[in-house]
Amino acid sequence: MRRPLTFKDRLAALLPKLVLSPSILAVSVGVYLFIVWTAAISFSSSKMMPRFDFVGLDQYVRLWSTPRWITAVENLFLFTALFLAVTIAIGLFMAILLDQKIRAEGVLRAIYLYPMALSFIVTGTAWKWIMNPTLGVQKVVNDLGWTSFTFDWITRPEVAIYCVVIAAVWQSTGFAMAIFLAGLRGIDNSIIKAAQIEGAGLTRIYLAIIVPMLRPAFLSVIVLLSYISIKSFDLVLALTNAGPGSATEMPSTFMFSATFLRNQMGVGAASAMMMLMTVAAIIVPYLYSELKEDRNGH
Amino acid sequence: MATDRRSARRARLIGRAFIYGALIALAAFYLMPLWVMIVTSLKSLDEIYSGSFIGMPQAVTFEAWGKAWSTACIGTKCEGLQPYFVNSLMMVIPAVILSSGIGAINGYVLTKWRFRGSNIVFGMLLFGCFLPFQAVLLPMAQVLGRLGLAGSIPGLVLVHTVYGIAFTTLFFRNYFITIPDELTKAAQIDGAGFFRIFFSIMLPAALPIIVVSCIWQFTQIWNDFLFGVSFTAGESSPVTVALNNIVNVTMGRKQYNVDMASAMIAAIPTLVVYVVAGRYFVRGLTAGAVKG
Amino acid sequence: MSKVTKFLMATALVLPLASTAHAEGKVEGIHHWVSESEVGALKVLTDSLGAKGFTWEDSAVGGLSGANATQALRTRMAAGNPPATMQLLGYEGVEWANEGALRSLNEPYAKNGWEAAIAPAILPFVKAGDDYFAVPINMHRQNWVWANKAVFDAHGITEPKSWDELIAAGKTLKEAGVTPIALSDQSWQILEVFEAILTDQNGTDFYRKAVIDLDEAALSGPEMLKAFDTLGEVRGLVDAGYTGRDWAVATGMVASGEAAMQIMGDWAKGEFLAKGMKPGVDFLCFPTPAATPNFKFVIDSFGTFGNEDPAITAGQDAWVETVMDAENQKNFNLIKGSIPARTDVPVDDFDDCAKRSFADREAAVAAGTMVGGLTEGFAAQPQFAGVFFDVVGQFFVTEMTSQEAVQMLVDGINNAR
Repeated sequence: MRRPLTFKDRLAALLPKLVLSPSILAVSVGVYLFIVWTAAISFSSSKMMPRFDFVGLDQYVRLWSTPRWITAVENLFLFTALFLAVTIAIGLFMAILLDQKIRAEGVLRAIYLYPMALSFIVTGTAWKWIMNPTLGVQKVVNDLGWTSFTFDWITRPEVAIYCVVIAAVWQSTGFAMAIFLAGLRGIDNSIIKAAQIEGAGLTRIYLAIIVPMLRPAFLSVIVLLSYISIKSFDLVLALTNAGPGSATEMPSTFMFSATFLRNQMGVGAASAMMMLMTVAAIIVPYLYSELKEDRNGH
Repeated sequence: MATDRRSARRARLIGRAFIYGALIALAAFYLMPLWVMIVTSLKSLDEIYSGSFIGMPQAVTFEAWGKAWSTACIGTKCEGLQPYFVNSLMMVIPAVILSSGIGAINGYVLTKWRFRGSNIVFGMLLFGCFLPFQAVLLPMAQVLGRLGLAGSIPGLVLVHTVYGIAFTTLFFRNYFITIPDELTKAAQIDGAGFFRIFFSIMLPAALPIIVVSCIWQFTQIWNDFLFGVSFTAGESSPVTVALNNIVNVTMGRKQYNVDMASAMIAAIPTLVVYVVAGRYFVRGLTAGAVKG
Repeated sequence: MSKVTKFLMATALVLPLASTAHAEGKVEGIHHWVSESEVGALKVLTDSLGAKGFTWEDSAVGGLSGANATQALRTRMAAGNPPATMQLLGYEGVEWANEGALRSLNEPYAKNGWEAAIAPAILPFVKAGDDYFAVPINMHRQNWVWANKAVFDAHGITEPKSWDELIAAGKTLKEAGVTPIALSDQSWQILEVFEAILTDQNGTDFYRKAVIDLDEAALSGPEMLKAFDTLGEVRGLVDAGYTGRDWAVATGMVASGEAAMQIMGDWAKGEFLAKGMKPGVDFLCFPTPAATPNFKFVIDSFGTFGNEDPAITAGQDAWVETVMDAENQKNFNLIKGSIPARTDVPVDDFDDCAKRSFADREAAVAAGTMVGGLTEGFAAQPQFAGVFFDVVGQFFVTEMTSQEAVQMLVDGINNAR
C-alpha cells in the first residue's frame, strides 16, 4: 500500500530541480537573455552606447560589406582548422611518446603544459621577437652560416596567420597532450601485447587500434580547442594586433574594435550574432548526437 | 639466436633514441619563448634598447624582478604587482570553489536524478561557453550595476562563476556518468537522502575530477583580463589588469625587462598549480573527463 | 525560460541602482597613462590636488591607445557607476557630452577666463553646443620628424623642405647603407606618416575637406592618389625588420644612428632626452616638410561625470582647477614632453623642440592651419578613422596600387556612413 505524499517527499522530489535552478537562472540571464539583448542591438542603430530602435538588417549589410570582416571570417575557419589539426596531431604524438615509460615524464609534461599558464599579453611579445626576421629565428640561423634561410611569415600578410597558428598551437598542445595521455593510460596494455604477438608493427597498432579507442578523448579535445579557438583574442592582439594590415583579424578582435574602438556597436553586435550562429551550426548537432546517444545507451 | 637478440636490442635502442630525441626537440621548442622571457628579464633596459632581444645578457641583473614585484608603477601607485596579487587570490579562490561546487552538484543531478528535459538543460548550459565574452560586457555591467556589485571583487566572482558553470558541469557530468547508478540506488534504498548521497558517496569518489575542474577554472580565471578590466576598478583590480598596465604602454617607453619579469611573476600561481597538481591532472582526466 | 527571464528582469529593476558610495574628499579618475614619464607627469597634478585637501584615487587602464580605458569606462557607465573624472581622447568626450553624462564646466571657464587661454581649434573637443565639458591639460604635436644629426651631417643632408626632398634624402641614405626611415607595420604609425603627407602636400583646407568632412570628391581625387604614391615611396625606405616594432624601438634606432629619421609625434622626444641627447646637437626635430606649415594637434583632456553627491562634485571642481592651473600645466608638460594646452604659459623652461612647437602653434593659430591629428582621433569620427587605419595599413604591407587604395577608402567610408 502506498502512503500519501508528505511535504517532505514532495520536497525531495523537487530537490534536484531546485538545486539546478540557480544555474539555470544564471545561464538564462548570463547567456540567453544577453543573446537576445545582442540580437536587439544588432537590429538597432547603436553607435557608442546601446539604443533600442529598429533599422532592420542595416548593420548586417554593413558588416558583410566590410572587407575586414570577410578577412576575419576566412581567418577563423583557416585558423580553427589548422589549429585543431596541428594541436591534435602534435598533442597525440607527444602523448604516445610520453606513454612509452619515459624517464623524467613529470618534467617533460610540465614543460609541455606551462604555456597554458602564461598570460598572452606578454608571451605574445616573446613570440613577436622570435618570429621577427631581423631579431629572431631567421637572424640566429643566418648568423650560424645558413644565409639563405628565411622565416619572415609574420611580415607577409598572406601567411601571417600561420604565425598566429604556431603560437596558439604552442599554447594549447600541452592540454591536448594531457587529455590524450589520460586516454592512453585508460587503455588496457594487454591489447597492445596481444596485437604484438600477432605480429602487428607498433605504428599499425597505434593507428588501427589505439587511436580509434581514444574517440572520447578526441571529442573532449575538439570541444575544448574549438572553445579556445573561437575565444582567441589576447593572442591575436599581443602577437600581431590583427596586422600586418588587417591580415590576421579574427571575429573576436573585430567585434571588440567595432564595439569599443570605432563606435559601431550595431556592427559589433551583428558580428557577435554571426559568430554565435556559426558556433550553433557546428556545436548544436554535436551536442544533439552526444546527448541522444546518452539517452539510448548507458 | 644471439645475433637476433642483438639486432632486436639495437632496434629497441634506436627506437628509444628516437623517442627521447623527439621529446627533447619538442621540449626545446616549447621552452623557446620562456628562454626569451627569462633572458630578457635579466637584462638591463639599455642593453635591450641597443638591439639585444634574444641573445644572452652581457650583465645579469635581477633589478627588473624586484621592480615588478614591489616598485613598478601601476597608475600613480608604485607598489608593483604585490597588492593586485592579493586581489586576484581573493577573486580566484571563491570563484573556483563556487563554480566547481555548482558544477559538481549539477553533474550529480544531471546523471543520478535525471528528469524530463535534463539533457536539454545540460545542452543549454554547455552552449553557453561558446558565447563571445566581448558581447556580454555591457549587459553584464548593467546587471551588476542593478545588483549593486559594480566595480567590486564579489561582482567579478559572480561573473566568473556564471561563465564557469558550463565547463565544470561538463567535467562532473562526464565523470559521474561512469559511476554506476546501482550505487546511488542502493544508498537510496538504505534511506540516504539527496545531499547525503552527494556528500558521502559522490564527492569522495570525485577527487580526480575535482582537481581537473579546479585547475581548468583556476587557469581561466587567473588569466582573465577582459572581465577584470570591465568589472573592477583601481585598487580592486586583479593582477592581469595591473600586468596590462605595466606592459601595455602606448606613448611611453616600454620596459621590456620589467614586462617579462612581471609576466612570469603573474604566472607563478598557475605554474605552481600545474607542476604540483599536474600529476593529478592527468590522473583525473584518466579517471573520467575523457569518457563521454 | 521566458518566465525565468521575466522574473529576473523584474528583480533587477526593483533593486536599487549601485550606490556610488565614494569616500569623502576623493577624486577617482580613469586614465591610460601607464609609462614612467606619463605617471610622473600625472603626479604633478595629483600632488597639487592633494595640497587642496583631496586624494586622487587611481584607476589606470593602459593599452590599445586608450581603447581598454574607454571600454572600462563604458562598462562602468552601463553599470551606473561612473568615475569622478576620465581622461578623454578625441570624440569620446563629445559623445558623452551629447549623451548628457558630463557636467557642464561653463562656470569655472567663465570665472577663470579659460576660453581665451586655449587655442580655438581644440574647442570642438572640449565644448559641445554651449557647454564646456572638459579641461585640456596638454598638447602634443603629431607631425614631427626626428633625425639623428650625426647621420645627417655624415651624408650631407639638411632639413628637407618638401616630401620629394625627404624621399631623395632617404634614397641617398639607403645607398649609403643607413635605414632612412624607422617605422613599423602597425597601422597607426603608418597613418601618422600618411596623414602628414596628405596635409603637407595639399594644405589644411584639403585635409579638413577630405578627412573631417569626408567629402567624396576629395577622398577620390588626384590629391589622395598622389599621397598614396608618396607613401609607396616611403615604403621603399623602410628596413625588413619593421614588423610589430614598437614606436619607441624605432626611436631607439634613430638615436643609435642605425636609422636616420622617424616620423612621430613629440612623445618621441623623451626617448632622446632619456639617453642624454640634446636637441640641435645630437638629434634634430623639425616638422614634416610642407609648403605652408601646419600644426597637427593631439590633446588630453579631463571631463567630469554628473552625479548627485556633493562630496564628489567638490572634488571634481578642485580637479578641474588643478588641471587648468598654469604652473601645473608647465610642470606636467615638462615631464610629459608635450606643451601646455594653455597658450599663455611661458616657454622659458622648455627645450628647443618644445619652443619650436610653441612658436609654430602661435603661427598656425594665426594662419588657421591648426588641425587635429587623424591618427590620434582628432579628425574623423572613430568609425571613419578606422577605415583610414585599415586602408593605409594594408596598402603599406601588400602590393596594393594607389588606385585600389583610394577605391577601398571611398568604399569603406561610404559603408561606415
